[in-house]
Amino acid sequence: MRNPAPRDLFPGALEMMILESLRRQPAHGYALVQHIQQRSKNLLQVEEGSLYPALQRLLKAKLVKAEWGVSATNRRVRTYQITASGLSHLEKEISSFERMFEGIALVLNPGKTPAN
Amino acid sequence: MSWLSRIFRRRELFNELAEEMREHMEERTEQFMREGLSRKEAARAARMAFGNSTLIEERSREVWQWPSLESIWSDVRYALRQLRKSPMFTITVVLSLALGLGANTTIFTFMNALLFLPPAVKDGNRLVEVMLRDAKHSGIEGYMPLSTPGYYQLRDHNHTLNGFAAFDGDPRPVSWNDHGQGQQVFGQLVSGNFFSMAGVTPVLGRDFAADEEQTGASHPAILISYSFWQRGLAADASVIGRVLVLNGTSYTIIGVTPPSFGGVVIGSRPDFWASLAMGPTLTRDPKLLSSAGSFWLFGMGRIKPQVSKAQVQADLDVVSNLIQHSNSHEKLEAAVFPLQLVPAPFRIYVTAFTGLLMAAVGLVLLIACANAANLLLARAMTRRREFAVRAALGAGRFRLIRQSLTESMLLALAGGAGGLALAHWSVPLLLSLKPVNIPVFVEAPLDWRVISFAFMLSICAGLVFGILPAVRAPQTEVSLALRDESQIAGRRRSRLRDSIVVVQITVCLVLLISAGLCVRSLFNARSINPGFSTHQVALAQLDPESLGYSKVQQKQFYEQLLERVKALPAIGSASLADSLPLGTNRSVHGIYIDGIAQSLDKDGIGVQTSSVAPGYFAAMGIRLLAGRDFVVEDSQPDTTRVVINEEMARRFWPNRNPIGQRFKDGEQSVEIVGVVTTGKYRSLGEDPEPFFYRPFDYASRGFLVVRGEGNTQPSLDAIRRVISALDPNVVPMDMESVSEYMALPLFAAHTTGVLLAAFGGVALLLATIGLSGVVSYSVSQRTTEIGVRMALGADRSTVLKQILGQGMRLIAIGIVCGLGVSFAATRVLAGLLYGIKPSDPLTYLAVSLFLVAVAQISCYFPARRAASIDPMQALRAE
Repeated sequence: MRNPAPRDLFPGALEMMILESLRRQPAHGYALVQHIQQRSKNLLQVEEGSLYPALQRLLKAKLVKAEWGVSATNRRVRTYQITASGLSHLEKEISSFERMFEGIALVLNPGKTPAN
Repeated sequence: MSWLSRIFRRRELFNELAEEMREHMEERTEQFMREGLSRKEAARAARMAFGNSTLIEERSREVWQWPSLESIWSDVRYALRQLRKSPMFTITVVLSLALGLGANTTIFTFMNALLFLPPAVKDGNRLVEVMLRDAKHSGIEGYMPLSTPGYYQLRDHNHTLNGFAAFDGDPRPVSWNDHGQGQQVFGQLVSGNFFSMAGVTPVLGRDFAADEEQTGASHPAILISYSFWQRGLAADASVIGRVLVLNGTSYTIIGVTPPSFGGVVIGSRPDFWASLAMGPTLTRDPKLLSSAGSFWLFGMGRIKPQVSKAQVQADLDVVSNLIQHSNSHEKLEAAVFPLQLVPAPFRIYVTAFTGLLMAAVGLVLLIACANAANLLLARAMTRRREFAVRAALGAGRFRLIRQSLTESMLLALAGGAGGLALAHWSVPLLLSLKPVNIPVFVEAPLDWRVISFAFMLSICAGLVFGILPAVRAPQTEVSLALRDESQIAGRRRSRLRDSIVVVQITVCLVLLISAGLCVRSLFNARSINPGFSTHQVALAQLDPESLGYSKVQQKQFYEQLLERVKALPAIGSASLADSLPLGTNRSVHGIYIDGIAQSLDKDGIGVQTSSVAPGYFAAMGIRLLAGRDFVVEDSQPDTTRVVINEEMARRFWPNRNPIGQRFKDGEQSVEIVGVVTTGKYRSLGEDPEPFFYRPFDYASRGFLVVRGEGNTQPSLDAIRRVISALDPNVVPMDMESVSEYMALPLFAAHTTGVLLAAFGGVALLLATIGLSGVVSYSVSQRTTEIGVRMALGADRSTVLKQILGQGMRLIAIGIVCGLGVSFAATRVLAGLLYGIKPSDPLTYLAVSLFLVAVAQISCYFPARRAASIDPMQALRAE
């Protein structure tokens, strides 16, 4: 079930992806795992072991809010929704991540300009 | 969500989390089933995919918990493990700290009892105490109680107090006729509203009625204290209505106060309370309630709501001005204080004395902290690798400091707990130092204030001794420590430890010199000749007048008493006096001497005096230098004969024979018939004072003085039996030997001497441990070096001398600093010392030499160990 060379995400990456997914649409835990996996074309495997603590951290920081509801498959689920402060946090994180990524790309491929 | 509601919502949060995860697992199972697995297989696969659900749940929960709190707990567990690993270190530090903290806790317990314990009254912070201030005098001399008329005027004309009560400052000794047996009890006179003002409700019976203060004399009533009820009346359940005969008058018991109430003034524990109306009867002073010139009542008022203490003061100022106009007394102002067990004017003296003791124990604690710091520093050196490894594994500097401080705090708190245990044992011991003949009762409980003091002081001590080793330890270069370059880092570190030892020796010397001065002063005070013999003499105070004896009856009683006492076996002589030298009551008469320039004061020359019966000088061991003793005939009412002391003869009739000279004692012309040696009359430290004796009139309270024959101590029991055979109602008060009597004048010298000597001893012990610890640590660090030296030919005595020399250097620096500090610091002791200057060179020299000797011995053992190092083994260890 794992990628051949599993690599730890850098701190904050999982939270960022959760927030991005929730920005598109509210989801519950299971759906988030599926969503991230699909969007990354199975490159990223989100472990429940990281997902739930991350969700709790986001809840505590009030970047997301949770509500119990019923899913499309008629199941009682807890749906997470991004909050306003979650949105602005996400924007800040993305821009700082992009700058970092740009820097890393420049170092790794000195010849090319990064595809942006 | 606030942190508070978060705590309460936690359980709910965790339940939601668990449910959410269950649903997650269920959804995945269904997904697998859709992919074609059986339900069982799918559930298994889902569980595998999910991972350890317990762990995940736990980690998700952690998000909501307090990471700091929980990691502090892990620090504590780690520290406990570390301390268990080196028990000798732990025990030494904890014991050092327990001694230091215990000394502080003990002294604070007394400070608390004297200064902080509130009286057991209701809403005590709204109560004020009212006295009078005489602007002519400064300090404590300027304060005095109210007179009875003054009290009533303040009570009736103030606008800021919700009730104003009064109480007698000194509970009076009263003889209680308990079925024909006399007993001494203490009674306090109070106004009728005293108990209701204090918010004290009797546990049995009733309080005084409001009008009892005025009409009480017709039906004398008392409330008794709980402890007197238990002790004196066997907790008789039907005690209400019982009649007690006190000083010859019958009083009905109307109530029993609660056990917590012991009066509102420290030191006095009245056995009963009577209303002011009974004052003249109980004190036999008929003018007590009418005289504007007899000041004896303390006021106690309850401030009206929304009124400040300053407003009360302003209000009473106005009222007291009115009083002065109405009776043209000297300028007296009302003085308003919060109601406290030690009244405000006295607090400065109590504060000064306990402050001095606190300073001394503070120094002891400083030495203990220095010990702990030194041992921690030495230990930090041996644990350098551990810290280096932890730093290399990513522990932050702050985290390492926190770990060190946690250890220090644990040590300090253990020391604090030990200190409390020590105080629990030493406080009763110190209370027992109080001479039994002083009717003062102090309770010094280890209450919450004492416990919080011990706790706070432990924390402070932990910070003081822990911060330096904690901050220094992580500074070590990781690579250096891992390579074990102990010599390089060791040098710098040992300088720090050396200075700590120097500070210890300095502080220790200051304490020892102070202790030395006080102990020598105590011996001086003991050896001061008080002018009377301090052995083979028994004393008893008698007050037959309190039983309603007439003057004739008193004379008969005293004469029979002397006759029977003298008839006892092994009695040398017996006599009577109205006051005793160095006692609490004394009188001064103004005298006029012809031919001597009258002192400017129209009251004559003030000379102390007392009246004594024939045989007094022989009984007290006061030598007759010239003339004769009194004879019985001298005691006639129109007596004109006196005996003077040598100092009086020297001062007023120099180079003349004083016998036969006359002077005027007030109005009466008297003739000198004898001269006796000069003694001490007010205090042991006084210079020679003139003094004269008048014949005893056999008609007042008197002290019986009995001298044993030869070297024998007269039997107090035999004397007691004689007294009670004469009249069982006569209670001999303060019956004791003269050596017991001398405990009172020697009390201050004795207490400071004993306490400072004890603190000095503890300081010396701690400093010795510290010094020997530092020297032996340095020996253990230098094992290789010493081994090399010895391999290269140094002999054992050279090594021994070198190590001792290292210790001596520290001792010498410490002594020099200590002498300087002592010279400045011991000035505060000047007032307590008898016959010795605070800068007494002999004490300084002797104490320094003593400290050097003890310190040398403490260095000797580690030095011996160094000298016995086997060079081969030391080098092989490298």
